[in-house]
Amino acid sequence: MDVCNRSLETVRHSRNLGMEVLSAEEDGVRVRLPWREDLVGNPDTGVLHGGAIFAMMDQAGGMANSCRLYPNFEITPTIDFRVDHLHAPTPGKAVICYASCYRLTPNVTFVRLTTWEEGEEEGEPVATGLATYTRMKLDKNGRVVS
Amino acid sequence: MTDSLKALIEACRNGEANYQDLVDRVPYARFLGIELLVQGEELTFILPRNENNIGNPTLPALHGGAVAGFMEQAAIIFILLEMGEPKVPKTIDFTIDYLRAGLFRDTFAECRITRLGRRIANVHISAWQKRREEPITIARAHFLLSEENN
Repeated sequence: MDVCNRSLETVRHSRNLGMEVLSAEEDGVRVRLPWREDLVGNPDTGVLHGGAIFAMMDQAGGMANSCRLYPNFEITPTIDFRVDHLHAPTPGKAVICYASCYRLTPNVTFVRLTTWEEGEEEGEPVATGLATYTRMKLDKNGRVVS
Repeated sequence: MTDSLKALIEACRNGEANYQDLVDRVPYARFLGIELLVQGEELTFILPRNENNIGNPTLPALHGGAVAGFMEQAAIIFILLEMGEPKVPKTIDFTIDYLRAGLFRDTFAECRITRLGRRIANVHISAWQKRREEPITIARAHFLLSEENN
């Protein structure tokens, strides 16, 4: 949890989006993205931009990898990412993403993600995602070794 | 509001308004700092190098989410300009392949509509930094254009 929050602190774009880690366990991580006026995609409706939701989900996926790999640390660049927007989140409401790395191979990680409106985490998701990431191992100095 | 959007698009076409105004009415597009290069009727979208879009501070590299958001917004504006009755398209799905690291420099994107139906559009988006022929990411997305049930 601490590691996730500290690593999130260093990611400027995610900090700017106002992302926050709510929980982090080996199985998965929960991340929150607030609704903010400057993240709106459609000025006529006030709905959050799909891109902001995407950025949160991609970040959550990366942290799901970190959780699965903990206590080791690797960087995991995204190979591909698909997001389905099931319905528009209510303007004014934050969204919560749960991301879980469900398969880890020596080179690739497979991640599933679900996003809900805050307070609706038992209900219908607003978005689902599926992603793969590549594993890059680091040496003691934090340099990429493979 | 839809009427004002239509009027703005008309004004852009007639040279009475700047295409950039279409970008700037979207708060998230301003958040990323998206710009537009118009050559005739060809559009190139630009995500200028901006520290706020950094994802990996050590490389430094752009945040994959910022690049994806930039490409999604580029597609939305591109479709808007192709629609007879412009209405902001809703993203149904967005799929992106990361081919190269997004370095901390300007990023460009172009869109191609694969199919523009009455209800759904399929768009291909390509983003590059050094050369158009060497994309850093390619994406494919579907957008809902109309919610009429016919």
